[in-house]
Amino acid sequence: MAAQSSCVASLYTVGVLEAVILRSFGPEGGQVLFTRDTGQAMLSRSGTRILTALQLEHPLARMVVECVWKHSTATGDGSKTFILLLASLLRLIHAAASKEPNVSHSYNSTKAAEAATARHLADKLLAFALKELDELIATGVVPYGGRISWEDFTATAQSPSLANNLCVQKLLRSFFHTRFGYTHCDFISHLACELLSYWKFKNELPSFSLQFVSDNFPALHTPVSGFPVCASRLIDGQVIHRDFATPPLKTDHQPVKAVVLTRSLQPTLLNTGDVLEVGCGGRMMEERSIVHFSAWMERSLQGIIANLQTLGVCVLLSAVKQSAAVLALATQAEMCVVECVSEDELSLFVRLSGTIPIWDCSMIEPEHVVTLTFCRPIQLGGHRYKNTPQRITVKPCSLVICAPGEGQTEQYACALQDAVRMLLRTWEPMHAAVTTTSKRTLQSHKSSSLHTDNLTDRTTYRSSAIQPIHKCVLEPGCVISAGGSFELLLHYALLQHGHSCSVSHDLNIDTSVSQLLANALLSVPQKIYAHSPKGDKSSKDSELDLGLESVSCKYQLLLAVLQCVRSLLKVDTVLPTHIALHTQSSRPASTSWEDTEDEAED
Amino acid sequence: MSRLSKKSPSVCTDLPLDNTDICEKLYLLKQILRSCFGPTGRLKQVHNNIGGHVVTTSASSVLLSSVSSSQPFINLIKTSILNHVSRFSDCGLFAAILCLSLIEQVKKSALRESVAIRVNKHSLGLCTSYLQREDCDCRVKLDFCSSQNLITLARSIISSKPACVLTEPETLHISKLAVQAFLLTVPCSSPGVVSLGRIVTVPVEGHSVLSSAVLPGLLVEMPDGLSKGESLPNPLSVVVFSASLAGDLSELGNGVIEVHPGVDTDSQILGQLLELGRQVVNNEVKLFVCQKVIHPVLQQYLRSHGVIVVERLGIALMEPLSQLTGAQPVATLHTTIPSKAYGNVRDLSIRRFGSKTMLHLLPLGESVICTMILCHRNQTMLNELKVVCQVTEHVLRLTLREPFALLGGGCTETHLAAYVRHKSKNDVPEAALLLGCSQTEYLLGVELFCRALESAAGALEHDGGNSLIDLTHAHRWTLPADSIKETNDSLGFCGCGLVESSPSSKWTYLNTKYAEFCPSPLFRDTPVQPRVLDSFTAKLSALQVAIETANLALDIKYIIQDMN
Repeated sequence: MAAQSSCVASLYTVGVLEAVILRSFGPEGGQVLFTRDTGQAMLSRSGTRILTALQLEHPLARMVVECVWKHSTATGDGSKTFILLLASLLRLIHAAASKEPNVSHSYNSTKAAEAATARHLADKLLAFALKELDELIATGVVPYGGRISWEDFTATAQSPSLANNLCVQKLLRSFFHTRFGYTHCDFISHLACELLSYWKFKNELPSFSLQFVSDNFPALHTPVSGFPVCASRLIDGQVIHRDFATPPLKTDHQPVKAVVLTRSLQPTLLNTGDVLEVGCGGRMMEERSIVHFSAWMERSLQGIIANLQTLGVCVLLSAVKQSAAVLALATQAEMCVVECVSEDELSLFVRLSGTIPIWDCSMIEPEHVVTLTFCRPIQLGGHRYKNTPQRITVKPCSLVICAPGEGQTEQYACALQDAVRMLLRTWEPMHAAVTTTSKRTLQSHKSSSLHTDNLTDRTTYRSSAIQPIHKCVLEPGCVISAGGSFELLLHYALLQHGHSCSVSHDLNIDTSVSQLLANALLSVPQKIYAHSPKGDKSSKDSELDLGLESVSCKYQLLLAVLQCVRSLLKVDTVLPTHIALHTQSSRPASTSWEDTEDEAED
Repeated sequence: MSRLSKKSPSVCTDLPLDNTDICEKLYLLKQILRSCFGPTGRLKQVHNNIGGHVVTTSASSVLLSSVSSSQPFINLIKTSILNHVSRFSDCGLFAAILCLSLIEQVKKSALRESVAIRVNKHSLGLCTSYLQREDCDCRVKLDFCSSQNLITLARSIISSKPACVLTEPETLHISKLAVQAFLLTVPCSSPGVVSLGRIVTVPVEGHSVLSSAVLPGLLVEMPDGLSKGESLPNPLSVVVFSASLAGDLSELGNGVIEVHPGVDTDSQILGQLLELGRQVVNNEVKLFVCQKVIHPVLQQYLRSHGVIVVERLGIALMEPLSQLTGAQPVATLHTTIPSKAYGNVRDLSIRRFGSKTMLHLLPLGESVICTMILCHRNQTMLNELKVVCQVTEHVLRLTLREPFALLGGGCTETHLAAYVRHKSKNDVPEAALLLGCSQTEYLLGVELFCRALESAAGALEHDGGNSLIDLTHAHRWTLPADSIKETNDSLGFCGCGLVESSPSSKWTYLNTKYAEFCPSPLFRDTPVQPRVLDSFTAKLSALQVAIETANLALDIKYIIQDMN
């Protein structure tokens, strides 16, 4: 495909991706079942997961997937619309470019001329979007929508101001509708609302709470398969996903005192490299026998347990496995031990309780001891877990996600995580400043987040806070009713803008750009209603009430799509190189491609 | 990184429910499972291609886990059902048959999948709320004062597994034993949180089923060199060790130990062990149990002092043993054993079951640990019987949380179908508006749902007979294949045994259309007890899992298979 026009090539690639995505887009869309290379079955309606599961080889397709991935890690939403918009933009650009090849330059072929026009258009589109789009949205779209505020939403736990809570719930509901269809979106959105209102930190910004839930989500939920979805619920306290290694507490006395251990209680007599000499020269046989050493070890262990007992400790949370002697002595001292607690859960526990984990077992002080309200075993499905709450500023709670299969519990967990990210972005719109000041910084941030493989794109958030706010037209918490209204409203706003520009200025190129963008936007509502049967009025009405979506996420999406178009069209040739596999990384094609892009950037 | 290979692209299947290969596989799976359902179900022999062990079964847990498919669509349904079985033990076949029938019904009809999903969810809501209602007509409240309903429940489960090959009296015997063992594990008087005990199963091959028994307390392997007839004090003091007493070194760390010549470490450690033995003997311990191995010299020492030694008990019996005796496992060798670590048993006796001789430990007070000795003629049947008894134990335990049972024999399914038909007829415009579909679509969706339920009830029939539904109570009846058709009064009792046929009652075939009617309630004060009962908790969850899985399957529009 050496000299093929990049516009045609990318159009073809994106078209294929679009066909896949359309199966799960809109009210009639369904799930996609995929199996991993391990044979594990997964379910998803998330565009990002579907695209990454395809294991594409084509470098352009991979680049698109990468762009989608970057976008969705930042906003958690909009990956399917991304592909649709991308396809429609490319089609329109291609049509425009082939209609009027740029004649001002002397190109030796029409194809090259077409490519140049396309590239030129893409540049102008992005420049236009960065400059004008937020204002256009603020004037043309936001007035038709509403605002949800964090205070109203979290206050619902106490006061029944239903209208506002319904607003957030509606936003979440329509988000979940795009993720796992109609059946459970009501139930799960209600659950998510409850979870978030539990985890509201006093005197903290909403973004702090959302960020907290997003960061600690793995430790905050428990997937349980084999139950119907409606068995999912919130439970008080933090769930430690380990069973007691010793018989659990018999008495129900409360509160319970606990300590966190990071290493074995049993003192290690011999570290690696140490040498123990037994029976030195035959003297002092009795005192220096091996039995003597192990007796000393047991005595010191007893000392530690006795110390813990005087502090009133009866729960030991350990990050590592403890020896049989520790377990037996702890049982005799009526303490219970939980071994091999995962690092995530332990760090959440430490953070919530404010305790200090014990490093040196010979020095256990009262500040290591934490008081818990209760500590009891909980049976979730086939596993027995330990459940502990603590006394802190928030009321901790954990989410139990039930579904018939593991694929589904994982799907719900992912969707919930993305929903929190989407809410975070709704309340804290990423300002245009970041994108305009320098494209390079954004790129580097994004790539750094890609390397660390961090689920939350934290680096980008931080940077957005540090960056001087150049203009903040979009207010936090803007929402608009879903089902294509954002696209339709922006379509008209763009058309009007183009019209007013052509009247006042003579820069007619601006008009064509805004017109192109306006037309591209229309493809989204078209696709949403493509499946609806004609003439079935009743069904159409109900489907129109899809809920709400976040304006700032949509804005973010448009910018991301335009950037993707620009970088796609900048590629002129794909050079397939053949490298012996054992000397190169597994992705030779994409590496070589990224090199070319970097050159183009410079 | 030398074995790095290129990733191959994934294989995609568009619209799996339109794919003939997948549809054929679904149909085959449904036929296999349908033919296994119920007491007269046909058995399946599972054997692998490398000449492994042949399993004869009709249980969904065994069947589904041995059926492997390369098709992720099939596997999705399979794992859903298996997960349900792993949680509730019962009603796996029902869930699978209902799920597959519903998928098939929707696929055959012209109903859009998204509408079918909504209507299914709505109908499921009708069913679950009805089943939870006080005046539900297919639910029986379990009375723990009498064991009759519990035995009926156990019997229905045991008789639904024909691979056990039990005669009628044998089924009754095992059902009674299962209920007895279950009742033994429920503590009589314990305030606060109740923790249930354990049933330890001891399988004995080659004996008649009727010699199976339930004993309070624990049976452990007979230790060597136990002299009979020795008078033992009552009660006996017990010590339990969880650490190895074989004389190996305890965990000292990763360092190196240098032993100089002339030092006999082994004898030093053995000396320490004997010191421990002396301590135990001084404390008048009569039973010495170790989870792991005991050094022969220590064993000899203890025996010579009249202590019964049991070694290699294994981790599985440790918890029941410490519950039974009240002993706390000891793992330290150098410190004095605290007095509260010692436990007690009331008595020891030696019991023989076939080739097995075992030591029977009787608890001092009331204990929630009991042993069930299961006998059967051969290994295959014994294995199935063991599985069935575990299922029964689990189902009986579930009744403690929700003390209800559902009418068995297909009557719950037909009753629910009639209820849903009747209920949905009354609110067509509202429901259609709520679900965002037309009224005809709604009615069609409900009809498909009910037909799937009835098809699950009809799957109980395997001998060529016909399934009927009566038009008053909506229970299920069987018309044997060889009977002269339409002789109404010869039908006897319905599937669950609650309703007797009368000349005034009317029937229709299950798979035919009938005018909807409201199932009329039964007279509650009749002395007639149901003959077949199903677990309420398991069946309710099975119903939900089946519909949710069917909905999920209908929602799948694309399959991507990673071929790496």
